[in-house]
Amino acid sequence: MSFAFRLLLRDIRSGDILTLIIALIISVGTVTAISLFIDRLQLSFEQESASLMAADRLIRSDDEIPKTWQVKARELSLQLAENTSFSTMIFAGDALQLSQLSAVTDSYPLKGAYLADDSLFGTGKSFTKPPQKGEVWLSSRLASLLNVRIGQQVEVGESKLTVAKYLVRDPGSSSSAFAIAPRAVMNMADLASTQVIIPGSRVRYSLLLAGERAALDDYETWVTPQLDEGQSWRTPTQKGERIGDTIGKAESFLLLAGTLAVILSGIAMALASVRFVKRHLMQVAVLKTLGATPKLLVKMFFIQFTLLFVIGVVIGLVVGWGIQGLISSLLSGLMSTSLPEPSISRLWLGVATGFISMVAFCLPLMQRLIKISPMSVLQPSLRFEQNTLVIYSIGFIGMYGLMCLYTKGFLLPTIMTLALVGIGLLVTVIGFTVFRLGRSLTSGATSGWQIGLASLYRRLVPNLFQLLVFTLIIMLGLILVGVKSSLVADWQQQLPEDAPNHYLFNVQADQIDQINTATDQLGILRSDWFPMVRGRVISANGESIQTLYPEEKGEPEIYERELNLTWSDTLGKGNKLVSGDLATNGLSIEQRVAQEANLRMGDTLTLNIGGNIITLPITSIRTVDWGSMQPNFYLILPKETLQDYPANFVSSSFISDDNAQSFYKAMSQFATVSILNIGDLLKQVQNVIRQLSQAIQLVLLCILSAGGLVLLSSVRSTLEERLEEGALLRVLGARKTLVQQALFVEFGALGLFSGLIAAAGAEACLYGLQVFVFQSQASWHLMLWGLGPLIGVFIISAIGLFASRKVLNVPPMHLLREF
Amino acid sequence: MTVKTAIKVTNLTHTVTANTGDLTILKGINIDIKEGESVAIVGASGSGKSTLLGLLAGLDVNTSGEIALYEQAFSSMDEEQRALMRGQYVGFIFQSFHLLPSLQAVENVMLPAELKGDKNARKNAEALLEKVGLSHRLTHYPNQLSGGEQQRVAIARAFASSPKILFADEPTGNLDEGNGKIIIDQLFELNQSQGTTLVMVTHDNELAKKCDRQLVMSAGQLVEKE
Repeated sequence: MSFAFRLLLRDIRSGDILTLIIALIISVGTVTAISLFIDRLQLSFEQESASLMAADRLIRSDDEIPKTWQVKARELSLQLAENTSFSTMIFAGDALQLSQLSAVTDSYPLKGAYLADDSLFGTGKSFTKPPQKGEVWLSSRLASLLNVRIGQQVEVGESKLTVAKYLVRDPGSSSSAFAIAPRAVMNMADLASTQVIIPGSRVRYSLLLAGERAALDDYETWVTPQLDEGQSWRTPTQKGERIGDTIGKAESFLLLAGTLAVILSGIAMALASVRFVKRHLMQVAVLKTLGATPKLLVKMFFIQFTLLFVIGVVIGLVVGWGIQGLISSLLSGLMSTSLPEPSISRLWLGVATGFISMVAFCLPLMQRLIKISPMSVLQPSLRFEQNTLVIYSIGFIGMYGLMCLYTKGFLLPTIMTLALVGIGLLVTVIGFTVFRLGRSLTSGATSGWQIGLASLYRRLVPNLFQLLVFTLIIMLGLILVGVKSSLVADWQQQLPEDAPNHYLFNVQADQIDQINTATDQLGILRSDWFPMVRGRVISANGESIQTLYPEEKGEPEIYERELNLTWSDTLGKGNKLVSGDLATNGLSIEQRVAQEANLRMGDTLTLNIGGNIITLPITSIRTVDWGSMQPNFYLILPKETLQDYPANFVSSSFISDDNAQSFYKAMSQFATVSILNIGDLLKQVQNVIRQLSQAIQLVLLCILSAGGLVLLSSVRSTLEERLEEGALLRVLGARKTLVQQALFVEFGALGLFSGLIAAAGAEACLYGLQVFVFQSQASWHLMLWGLGPLIGVFIISAIGLFASRKVLNVPPMHLLREF
Repeated sequence: MTVKTAIKVTNLTHTVTANTGDLTILKGINIDIKEGESVAIVGASGSGKSTLLGLLAGLDVNTSGEIALYEQAFSSMDEEQRALMRGQYVGFIFQSFHLLPSLQAVENVMLPAELKGDKNARKNAEALLEKVGLSHRLTHYPNQLSGGEQQRVAIARAFASSPKILFADEPTGNLDEGNGKIIIDQLFELNQSQGTTLVMVTHDNELAKKCDRQLVMSAGQLVEKE
């Protein structure tokens, strides 16, 4: 034990084993930093999104939710709240208005807060408690329509409630789509006495939950099998919701970054292990001649590698923790809320990375070390008895396993592994061909560049290996840069700072000019006005919907409910024709709903519009960018068909915080016009996007730095041979510049080819990632084709020349003595 | 008093597999080397001298025949037992020194004693280095030493485990005449003072003449030089 320990300490002191420890620290550190950071971001987004849902999780149901579900939640120490939401008439004197009323328990909202104000059309202050018993909060529009003010009473069913505040925003409502009726909120304690809910009423019941993640997960497992039709389990980052999608993509990016970190760490470990073995083969052979038994050597290496593992993992975890802390503190200035503390339990991933790296890369090599024949001290040719393929295959499998563990899936690791194998083959074929060509061009080499090119073929195997390593590192960097750029560009394009944040609807044709004047005076930008006429699809291709879907279940969305129809001569912003064009004799349908209902060009739809039955063929199919925040429609009909029906109009605007008050005031004269404010939701999405863009840039920087370190150690791994050759050349009378030139050409050529192959590989990988992982449109990344070779030539020759400066400045005799 | 046999070789044959097929390097060799004897093995390059040395020291396994150190035959041993034998009986000096580059001079000399778990390893190593005239170079690394100094460290290392048999493979092969002479003198001095059996492969006739016996390796056979 003590002998192994002493030998290890001596190895550490001489720097021999340092490369291996550094590689292990890079592996564990990078993976730990990224996984901890992802965890913190996820927690943070969940918290932010939770505030928009008023809870961490919720169950939505069309029927009353069984009381046993609440009992179970309490058993798991979860916080509970209830929200019962329905449409009802609210009366005030002679005035009456259909409203969307929510009755909530005292604990509502569990997350986030109400925005409410004491003045009509005010912008609101935060309240974390709902109205008290006997009170009701009305939206400013509802109060205007009913002509009531704070302190006055309204009637809801059999009860009278006092208006206590003007409701600006209900925390649980912002992610729901258009709620046409104006909103109001009351205390659950008053609900029974109103007697408005009777059998057959359309009511939406919500049970809201908050608490520890583990308890929520347990509850989900318990409740999911019991959910009936009409009941759903919701999480804040649900796919399909805007924030959920944005975070999902960012998570995929960070996961990808983590996977690339795993590959990088694998390369670092492979390089360091090979170097370790090379430096220790003779040591082990000599120890054997001195009487070290195989058992003793196994014990010695086991102790040494265990110590190495402990040292590397502990420092790696500390470094990883430090890096994620640094990234988070750099981000803290940009974040609206501080990031939650990372969970210590995530550290296991760093430990697993260290363990698998050691087992996959060091164990096979250790076995090779132990097997070396002591005879090799007398016959050096015996030293390299090995099966490199087996050793690297084990490393490769280890790395694949680690990626699967990391991503909790197979898709990303498989794409990356296939890419690595493809690149390996490509590098071998191209490298062999080009190096060979280089040699035939430079026979009888005398100049620096000829010697440099000839060296490429002379050291074919190490150079091919080096080419592969350079290519992989550059490719990983390029992939991340490519994904980052398109992701950030995609997000920023999706939601510019002045994206519309208010919808105006229920506008009559004769109000348009007045509203235009009012908004123009305030300098408010508006989208076009779109007419809306309500209509319902009653049959498709002559078959009635009832015949097509007799059970009223599983109907496509466009058959399910009354639709908002519009007419337009031109395509709105965010609409793109896939086939056909906007014609005067047919209708245009959105692609996703057409696919859902299995409708194609030329199929006919029959609609009931205001009692009239109209049949039209589909003459165009469109895609719609629902994220554009413009009014969008599933069906666009010809103007001639719709213009005679009574229509109301819709438009969207961007209202800045500065002119919100004046806007609401101006709009208060149009009491019938509905205003939907999605500003908070948008702000939150934009905030998330800003944070994510910054976060992924920092992660990118972190990975690229780790890549740079690996690149340096890769150059160092073949440096000895180059230094020895350089020293020999100088002994034979070559001038410094000749040696310098030869080294520059050799490294430059390696860099150029690796940069070019890396660009090709990155382009192929990005295609796979865009199509399968990010599910976005594949595109070319011309920038990479310039960046790859540039990085290759300049960075690799710079590192190469820097690392080999010794050969130029130290007397050759000193160098030769070292070999 | 009868002198013990340190090394006994009976009908030793060794065949290796080469590109052109099997190649028999050693053909039916028989030797007896007595305790305390010094023996030089000479012969042309590639005649199999080093292979024989390796087999005698138990570094490799012979194809047929028997090698025994102090009546313990290698043929019945596995690598574990052969290593223990080496640790117990054998010291080595190599042409290219084979000092461990990551260890200081004194640590290189300590290695054999450390492997045996000897607590006085450092003290003994310092004493041995003093004997070879390197007490001022204890903490130097191999690449900070000249070739002659490296070989003197190697000699000190070879004697550190108090071996009964010392195998030397061209100990002066990489050194100039002056350094070679110093090495030879120190080697024989330590050999005599410690009563070690010395088996040495060399091209150097002067060095060979200093030994009690000279064996010539030729065409896979070993013959005594009169």
